[in-house]
Amino acid sequence: MSSIFAIARRDLKAYFASPRASAIFWFFLIFMGFFFNNFIGMFMQMTQQAPMMGGQAPTLEQLLKALFYNLHFILLLVVPAVTMASFSEEKRNHSIRLLQTSPCTPMEIVLGKFFAAASLMALVLVASAVYPLFTVTHGNPDKMVIVTSYIGLLLLVCSQIAFGLWVSSMTSNQFMAFLFTMFGLFLLLILNWMATNLSGGGIMESVLKYLANSDHLDAFFKGTLSVGHTAYFLVFTAMFLFFTNVTLDSQRWR
Amino acid sequence: MIEVSSLCKNYGDLAALSNVTFTVEKGQIVGFLGANGAGKSTTMDILCGCIGPDSGTAKISGFDITEQPIEAKKRLGYLPDVAPLHHEMIVEDFIRYVAELHKVPSHSIRVRVDATIEKLALGDVRKRLIGNLSKGYRQRVGLAQALVHDPEVLVLDEPTEGLDPTQIAEIRKLVRSLAGQHTILLSSHILSEVQNTCDKIVIINKGQIVKQGTYEQLAAAMETGHTYKLKVARNGANALTTLGRLGLQNLKAGSTDGDIEFAVSTTTGDQILDDVAKAVVDGGFGLRGLALKTRSLEDVFLQLTK
Repeated sequence: MSSIFAIARRDLKAYFASPRASAIFWFFLIFMGFFFNNFIGMFMQMTQQAPMMGGQAPTLEQLLKALFYNLHFILLLVVPAVTMASFSEEKRNHSIRLLQTSPCTPMEIVLGKFFAAASLMALVLVASAVYPLFTVTHGNPDKMVIVTSYIGLLLLVCSQIAFGLWVSSMTSNQFMAFLFTMFGLFLLLILNWMATNLSGGGIMESVLKYLANSDHLDAFFKGTLSVGHTAYFLVFTAMFLFFTNVTLDSQRWR
Repeated sequence: MIEVSSLCKNYGDLAALSNVTFTVEKGQIVGFLGANGAGKSTTMDILCGCIGPDSGTAKISGFDITEQPIEAKKRLGYLPDVAPLHHEMIVEDFIRYVAELHKVPSHSIRVRVDATIEKLALGDVRKRLIGNLSKGYRQRVGLAQALVHDPEVLVLDEPTEGLDPTQIAEIRKLVRSLAGQHTILLSSHILSEVQNTCDKIVIINKGQIVKQGTYEQLAAAMETGHTYKLKVARNGANALTTLGRLGLQNLKAGSTDGDIEFAVSTTTGDQILDDVAKAVVDGGFGLRGLALKTRSLEDVFLQLTK
């Protein structure tokens, strides 16, 4: 147990010892700021035009929902950048031997790496809360929607990290790890839209749609917390952490 | 303490190890000697649980590395051929991290870290980044990493590789000072290193153990006669031809002019030495020295791995 924390603490410090962590914060917050700025502009314009056009004025919840949807795309680039080094860099500079010869089970190593990446991303999400908080101080959105959206985002990030760790455990090349993680995560995002084309309807379509993470995330953005959707993310995370564990263990036998 | 029995490992069609068996007794320093690619690192990686053997067993203090890896690894310190270091960490933090990884009880971590830093004379650099250290210091941090949890068994893969002569001497002294408290398996392709540091030598070639024993045993096993070194003052080439008539074995010129080497088999006896000396004096070559040449480990090694 203690070694999980030792590994997690070291890895988290390592993110901040290199420019990696600050680059991730920069990238995430600046792009989120662009989106936020853009959406606020549109929001103001539509609010002014709505009475003249005779339509409904947009709500702040809609604004936030649009913002969170777009975060999913930023995460496609940010999460691979966080997880790509986890195992591949250790393999490249041989420090993986340190973990392999320590009296730790592969699962302890995987969990240590996972908690380090998850804490970093949790910190990024906390920092990103400045934009929704801005709407709270200057307007009156439903605060529960913000909370559930963030819970959804955290669960999403955890599942993405688990996937990224698995990819990283299979290569010693960081760039390949980045590329394949991004590709996989992108596939999970668009699977929902491709499901009909891929399966031609029927039960396969619903299976594919279930596998995609966008519908599950949608529920959180709507302000609902459901066991089913939470379970999807938790099972996804646990499954890929287990895969990583198997990959690490099997590498001894090659 | 270390028991390796009939270890086999294949990389595809290439047999990296076949039937490797040896033991290291408690408190001994054993040198594991072989050319590059002979299978030293593979054996050590298997011994430390980094890769699995195809067949055979490796035991650390009685714990099988495949069956009870956690128990075995608790008793093991390993310095691989490339020291596993995190370059962005401070020396002290790194050693503490390794101590935590090895599940050193939290109340004794501080003591262990300080003791290790003192033992390896890392006090001057304890607050410096590992990435900024010289190679010699990095190697010492690598050793600290293997020593911090006070393991019963130490496995060192070419610990003096790439260091300058002063640093090599320091590391050797350090390894010698560790004998007794730890059981040490030390690999090297530098023969003199093993000859000076180790109690017992295991020679491996092409994945197979060729010979094992103390240096004296190995040298004695090879001994068929004595090699002598003769030094003359002038006309080395002429001296060589003159001596050629005496029917000496392995007669050859040495590295510098005037140096001549020859062998005397134990059966012909030492009478021939008088003849050699007489021939040199009579020929007026100027006798400067005639000495028994001790067989270096290099000779033994070259002969065994031929």
